[in-house]
Amino acid sequence: MTPQADLGIFAISVAAGLIGALAGVGGGILVIPALTFGFGVDIHLAAGASIVSVIATSSGAAAAYVRDRMTDMRVGMFLELATTTGAVCGALLAAVASPAFLYLLLGAVLLLSAASQAGRMGEEVPPEVTPSALASRLRLVSSYPDRKLGREVTYSARNIPLGFVLMWIAGLVSGLLGIGSGVLKVLAMDGAMRLPMKVSSATSNFMIGVTAAASAGIYLSRGDVDPQIAAPVALGVLTGAIVGARLLGRVSNRTVRLVFLPVLVAVGLETIGRGLGLAL
Amino acid sequence: MSADRFRTMISLVLAAGVAVSAVLIGIGFATALAIGWQGSLVGAAHATGAPTTDFGGLPGRLAALEPAAIAQLGLITLLATPVARVTASVVGFVLECDRLYAAITLAVLLILLTSILVLR
Repeated sequence: MTPQADLGIFAISVAAGLIGALAGVGGGILVIPALTFGFGVDIHLAAGASIVSVIATSSGAAAAYVRDRMTDMRVGMFLELATTTGAVCGALLAAVASPAFLYLLLGAVLLLSAASQAGRMGEEVPPEVTPSALASRLRLVSSYPDRKLGREVTYSARNIPLGFVLMWIAGLVSGLLGIGSGVLKVLAMDGAMRLPMKVSSATSNFMIGVTAAASAGIYLSRGDVDPQIAAPVALGVLTGAIVGARLLGRVSNRTVRLVFLPVLVAVGLETIGRGLGLAL
Repeated sequence: MSADRFRTMISLVLAAGVAVSAVLIGIGFATALAIGWQGSLVGAAHATGAPTTDFGGLPGRLAALEPAAIAQLGLITLLATPVARVTASVVGFVLECDRLYAAITLAVLLILLTSILVLR
């Protein structure tokens, strides 16, 4: 890599970290195409750098999100039970499943979810409901300080079994296809469990690092993590994620949706592209 | 342990992992720009010239102060940070006397370690 290329990779990675921290995703959607198309990096090394990017976004932003009570740690830990189990099943199934069909199915689901996401664009916080017995038992009833609204917003997780199943599928998909792990997590928490958008994004951010760490050993032992690529990516993404984490508290839930929706559509289109055999 | 102290502890674990890895990756990257990824800060004779994707033999290459090895140690620290965070969460829930979540988090940690060590 030339110093100019290093600088370019760093700049793209800052953007990926910033968008990823706000939207609750890992930034692979930006990092992988930029590395392969923009800088001619081998797809395996780009995927290895993407795993580094996901963990950097997660750890870089989560320190602030946990401290500022944006992350719901109980929701995160409870759902990580589903995602990690799903990821192991996905990795085991990878040899027997037909990826082309799965890519098309996932892409269709993501694009359909984009429509319902767009429909919730005007909703600042979900309507308050009486916590269900299960939500109380699992202590998935909490609140977060919304600095934009200037008040404490209380919420309780709804449709917990559905959310758990969707999270298992999110883990399965990331183990099988290595894409869409963050967007599916946000969709499950925002769409199914009806958590506030900022809490969904911050809690997804908290969780994606663990999902990615589960497969990090595979990438390291395959020789897919090259410091020549991964070092500027890590430094850039950490910078972007730390800045992004300072923004999330101040912006509205609508702004977070405005960042998330294009990411969701882009991941949906790229997934369909992969299903159709396009080299994206 | 109070909820606030628990959050502070998790936040510190994450911030420490990020800080240590950023410093190591930064040093490795900056020195690689100066002397190249295959070099050694204690003289060319010490450089092993190992491919930068090879994470083996790290202690020896760190002793020779190879930029690539310093960056690799930083990347490993970064990749290990989520594992450290889950481990700290187990401790936090135990200290909070929350048995349900201590058990859930311990299960996550075991699944995580199994997948890191077994799937490759």
